[in-house]
Order: sequence, then structure tokens, then C-alpha cells
Amino acid sequence: MGRALKRAEEHLALAGAGFVICATALLPLVAVVAGAPLSGFAPLASASPWLLLLRSCALAAAVTACALLLGVPLGMLLGRANIPGKRAALLLHALPAFLPPFLLALGWFYLPHPDALFSSVGAIGVETFAFAPIVTALVALAVQAIDPSMEEAGRLSAPPWKVAVRIVLPVAWPAAALGALLVFALSLSELGVPMFLRIRAYPAAVFSRLGAIDYSPGEAAVLAMPLIAVALALLAVERSIGAGRSFAVLGLRSEERAALNLGRFRWTATVICWAAAVASVLPIAGLARMALRGGFAQIGDWLGAGIGNSVVPAALAATLLTAVGLILGRSMARGRPGSGWFDALAVFAFVTPAAVLGVGIIDVWNRPATHAVYRTVAILVIGFAARYAVIPARAIAVAIAQGSPHLEEAAAVQGAGFFLRLRRIVVPLHGRALLGAWLLAFVFCLRDLETVILFYPPGSAPLTVRILTLEANGAPPVVAALSLVQCGMVAAAIAAGAVALAGARR
Amino acid sequence: MISSRLVAVVLLCFACKRGAKEVVVYTSVDQPFSEPVFKEFEKRSGIKVLAVYDTEETKSTGVLNRLIAEAQQPQADVFWSGDPVRPFLLVKRGLVQPYSSPAAASVPAQFKGADGTWTGSAARARILLINKQKVSAAEMPKSVRDLAASRWKGQTALANPLFGTTTMHVAALFGAWGDDKGRAFLDDLKTNQARIASSNGEVKRLVAAGEVAFGLCDTDDAAEALHDGAPVEVVYPDQDGIGTLVMPTAVVLLKGPHSDAGRALADWLASADVDKRMAEVAAHMPLRADIQVPGVRSASSFRSMKVDYARLGDEMERIQPWLRQWVGL
Repeated sequence: MGRALKRAEEHLALAGAGFVICATALLPLVAVVAGAPLSGFAPLASASPWLLLLRSCALAAAVTACALLLGVPLGMLLGRANIPGKRAALLLHALPAFLPPFLLALGWFYLPHPDALFSSVGAIGVETFAFAPIVTALVALAVQAIDPSMEEAGRLSAPPWKVAVRIVLPVAWPAAALGALLVFALSLSELGVPMFLRIRAYPAAVFSRLGAIDYSPGEAAVLAMPLIAVALALLAVERSIGAGRSFAVLGLRSEERAALNLGRFRWTATVICWAAAVASVLPIAGLARMALRGGFAQIGDWLGAGIGNSVVPAALAATLLTAVGLILGRSMARGRPGSGWFDALAVFAFVTPAAVLGVGIIDVWNRPATHAVYRTVAILVIGFAARYAVIPARAIAVAIAQGSPHLEEAAAVQGAGFFLRLRRIVVPLHGRALLGAWLLAFVFCLRDLETVILFYPPGSAPLTVRILTLEANGAPPVVAALSLVQCGMVAAAIAAGAVALAGARR
Repeated sequence: MISSRLVAVVLLCFACKRGAKEVVVYTSVDQPFSEPVFKEFEKRSGIKVLAVYDTEETKSTGVLNRLIAEAQQPQADVFWSGDPVRPFLLVKRGLVQPYSSPAAASVPAQFKGADGTWTGSAARARILLINKQKVSAAEMPKSVRDLAASRWKGQTALANPLFGTTTMHVAALFGAWGDDKGRAFLDDLKTNQARIASSNGEVKRLVAAGEVAFGLCDTDDAAEALHDGAPVEVVYPDQDGIGTLVMPTAVVLLKGPHSDAGRALADWLASADVDKRMAEVAAHMPLRADIQVPGVRSASSFRSMKVDYARLGDEMERIQPWLRQWVGL
């Protein structure tokens, strides 16, 4: 009996993780689709939504191409080459990725800008700097994970550039492909930047069914279907590219090794890397420039409880998501049946337009029986869990997949149950990965705007929401100062995480 | 697993934190102006105000749609709307608790519902904001039709008519001119390359920065531009024609969970104090004739457009599909 129970523990744990994903993400999505009117496909009957979708796909493709052009070389250089201050450059470059893109658009607007900012070219530029760090970071982490013996063998007989092209680049390719897919999906569903820059985009068509006078969540869900289909196609591509390959690492391969010597190209590469890093934070400089016109003097009147309203639910959600990610990520890494479905569901929720998910969450949770949840910060945790479950789960899966299962197998032979193995082997072995996954989830929740804006509890607006609701009519210096507080929170979280990860490495 | 339990315990703590002495308000009145009004109410009444604010892009429809989405379990006690039309969409859905606030006794009858479904408070008007460096005194536009005049090709702006007060204005123009002329005007705007901004605030920015010569927005946007020292001038359009559209803010009591506190807040929002305060800080026009604020015009000082706010709501819903096509969404 006891042995049977121990065998069942793993299945029960996976079922528990799956339950969290289903309760937070699947139920709202089902509620929205079920609420679609029978004649709901009418919004897709004419040519105009499809043309708009094509336009948005073209915009996303352009952003992806630019992000790859910027992110792949930067990732390779900052990941492996002997660039002075490369960690600082990478952090600077990565910072915008953790801010709501509309804040970056606002920052560019506050700087002297050409008219072209309010055009497709401007939108591509703003989104490229917002999303390219995803490619850069994935490529940098991937090239750091290269088996040193491969590189050393290459360097015996080939110059650095040949090692980079023939050995490093092929290893970085799956990470770059994953980054490209993420950038494409994020750009395709981006709403704030196109609206701010007056660019027509497909997500705005979905949003118009939720934000305009003739409220129609069913039609919004129908209009969201092509976006979801595109996203699912991207997922299929990602799986075919990534089959049997390992991507970025958070946990293992932490041994120090000599950086790739660029020789006479070192200083040119250094200038390029630092120029890109500085360009990435220019919109933040734009916000600072505006904030210095008296914004900080008034900030106390407008900050409210914004910081607490952001940090508390983000920390709670990150903790819940890391626990779920540990179970699901391990199951994915070990190829357990069912884990792929939960992973696909989590991806599905991540790429679904946030407004659609938000309407579903209201439908499911705003009921007498769940009143205590809906009226409190708990609903923010649920929203974050619905949207971002995929992030820690994937991060932890990658880390566990790179480790050997032998220790766990040996413990199981000795009669250790699933939870005991998890506590005594998996968690200690992958502590860094878990910490990194928690940090990633926390920062994504902290930067979130679009998911929670539809249902945040009255009086508990997170800082991103406060900035948006104050943005148009509040004093620009105050809005800029609040935006800098948001930047500061994210930077502090990343810095604290970096210190903690460094400590865990030792 | 321990962390999951910890999360559950903390969530329960938050769930238990809410007290009874509170009121929930959803508002599409700009947060920089509405939040201080709520804080003052908290100070005077001891009742905590839990507010949900609208974004500029979805002004009035964001929180309105949230109210509709939450209809099966209403959360809000009061809706303080930036215009008097959208509350009728809530009335039609049975979400409104009729209440004739004694504090609004001195509000003129045309600015409140006889059945108590809404009570008007400080008003805004739809105006043309002109950049004086781009437009000479002799060329000053006088009508909203000038937005589509070829003289100003590519030099005018208005907010996306799917959202905010621009929806209401377009519906009022359709009502005044008829569908054919209304559609022709919007098509002319497109031909004339008028810029479709994301919000009225964005129109203000474009005009203030001189990126366009003039644009259509609200009096509070204009007041901000003037306050910031922008080289702008305000024109109340169509004074020799259909008149300028006036939009009082509207206080609506909802079927929320805190009805007594809701009434108290509705009384405060409909009071002469708030009418005056909104005139002073937000350049809204007081509805009460006895309230005079230097530098702020009263609603009776210019020719206003004759509109039936209840019918305007129906008109807004009716033209919405065509507007979406026009916008390209």
C-alpha cells in the first residue's frame, strides 16, 4: 500500500500543478470561448481583419528580424567574448525587457525625436529595443553553456571568428530561434506601443470589442482566434527546432572558463556592445529627463500604495509559479505523460491576448462563492499565474534536463518517495535554477499591465496601472518619476537576484 | 508544497483584511482630479474609498465595460462618469439604483435624470484647441467642420472615435446632421489626413508641440495645455450653428454591496463643493449658476448643442459598427 502511494505521489503532484494551470488559465479561456455568440465568426467574414492581421504579422516579423540582427551578435559577444564590463552591458541592455513597452515608447517620446517615431518604423524601433534583450540573453546563456572542450579544440587550429561562426553560432541557433519566436509572439500581441504611436494593429481590433461602447467579449474571443492560431503554429515550430536540444541554462555549467579572445577586433566589438547597451536605456534616460522637471517633488502625492500593490502579488505569484514550475518542469524534463499538455496550455495562455484572458477571469471568479478572492489581491495572483506559468516551468525544465536523473533513480530504488526526492535531491541540486525561475516570474509579474488592468481590485492598482491611468492627464514629470520608480523596482529585483544567484553559485 | 501553503495563508489574510467602512467607486473622470476628491471625502466621512480609474485610451468605456462584465456580482457602489451618456448603458442593463441626491437640489433639471438614475456635476465641453504659432488670428477655425477643410490638410487631429468622449461627440454630430452628412464628414477627415490620436490627451500634446495646427479635445485638456504655458487658444466651435457639445460628469448610484456608503459618496460628488473644486482644479464648468470661478466659463456663457443624452447613448451603440470600419478595426 505504502509503495503504491509513493508511486502515486508523482502523478498526484503533476495533477496538482495541472490543476493550478487549469483553474487559473483554462477555465477563463473556456468561459470566453463558450460565451461567443453563435454568429460569432461574422467579425472574421470580411477581408479587413485578415489584412490587418497580415499587417501586424509583417510588423512583428520586422521587429523579430531586427531583434535577431541586434540580439544574436550581442549575445555571442557578451556571452563569450573578452568584452570589458560585459555583465554590466548585458544588464543595461536587458533592463528595458522588464518594463511595460508603453513606458519605453513614452521615454522615447520625451527625448528629442523625429516625426518617424509615430510611424511603423518608429514602432519597429521601440519594440526592437524592448524585445531584443530576450534574444540577447538567451543566446548569451546558450553560448556560455558550450562544452569548453569543443571550443578549445577549435581554437587550436582556427582564428576566433572561425570558432564563433563554426562552433559557437550553431550552438546558439536553437536559443536564437526560441528568442525569435518569443519576440514574434510578444510583438504580435503588443497593444500599448501601436496605440500610443497611432499604428493600426490587430490586437487593437480585439481590444475595440472590449474597450469600445459595444462591449462584446465573445466577438473579441473570435477575433483573437487567428492570433492564437499563429501562436500555436509558432509553438509547433519551436518544438520542432528544440526537439532534443537544450537551450539556455540557469543552473549548471557554471564553471569559469577563459573568454574568447577577439584579438584586434576587441575594441571595435566593445564599442558596438556598449553603444547597444546605452541605446537600450535611452528611453529610461528620457523618462529621467522629464522626471527631473519637478516630478520627484510631487511623487509622494501620487505613488499611493502602488509599490506594495505591485510587489506583494508579484512575490506571491512568483512563489506559487515556482512551486508549480518545479513539478511541471521536472515532469517535462523527464518526459512524463501529460506534462506536455500542461506546458502547451501554459504557452497558450501566455500568447492569448491578455484582455481576452482578463474577461474570462472576471467571468469565472466574480461570483458570490469566490467573492473573497475576487475582491482581494488574490485575483492578481490568479491572473499572474494564468499568464506566466510557462516562464518558470520552462526555465526549471531546461535546468533539470541538463542534469543526470541517476541520483533520483538511485534514491527511488532505496524507497525514497517523490516528495522526499524532490526535497532532498532536486531542490538542492537545482537551487540556482529555482531562484532564477522565481526571479524571472517575479519580474514578469512586476512589469505586467495588460493582464490585470481589467480586474485589479478597487483601491489596489499596481504601479504599472497607476502610471497608465495617470499618463495622459497627469503631470508628465510625475508620470515620468513614477515610471522611474517602476524601473528602480525592476532593477532592484534583478540586482538582488544577481547577488543571490552569485551566492548560490559559491 | 510549503510555499503553496504559505501562499494560501497569505491570500486568506488579504481576503480577511477588508472592512465594512468602505465604498467602491469606478470613475472615468481623470485620476489627477478625481483622486483628490476621493481623498477629501475619506477625510470628511471616515469611509475608505476604493477606486478604479479609467485609462485615457478607453476613457469611459474601460470601467463601463468592467461594470457590465461584473454584472452578475456587482462590485462597485458608485460610477462617476466623465459624461452623462454612458450611464444610460448601465440603466438599460438594470445595474443602476435610482437615487435623487438632496445635495443636487440646486443642479438645473436638464443636468440630472428625473428618475434619479443620474445626477450631473461639473461639466466639460468639446472644443477646438489651436496652436497660435501655426494659425493666425484671421484664419482661426470656427467649426468642427474645419477639421476636414483642405486648407488644413494633414494639420488637424482628433482622438480615436471608438473610445472616450470623441465617440459621444461623433454620435451627437450624426444626430444633428443625419447619417449621410455624418459619414461624409468622417470620410472627409480621412481624405484630409487628419491624425487619429490615441486619446484627447494625445491631441493636446500634438497641438501644444505644434505637430498639428489644431485639434478636437475637451476643455480640461485645453486647461492643462494653458496651465503648462503652451502657445494655444481655445475655440468653442459652431457658435453660429449647432453649438458646442457640453458634457456634465454624471454621478450614478449602482446596486453595489455598500449602499449607505454609496449614497454618502454620491451626495459628496453631486455637491456644490465638488462642483466648485472641479472648476478650480480641473477647469470644469460649474453647473450651478451661483458658482463663479475666475478663468472658467460657465455652461450658460456660450451656445450649447441641444442633445438628449439618453438618445445619444442609443446613437453611440448604433453607429459603432460603422465607426469600427472607418477606423479600420
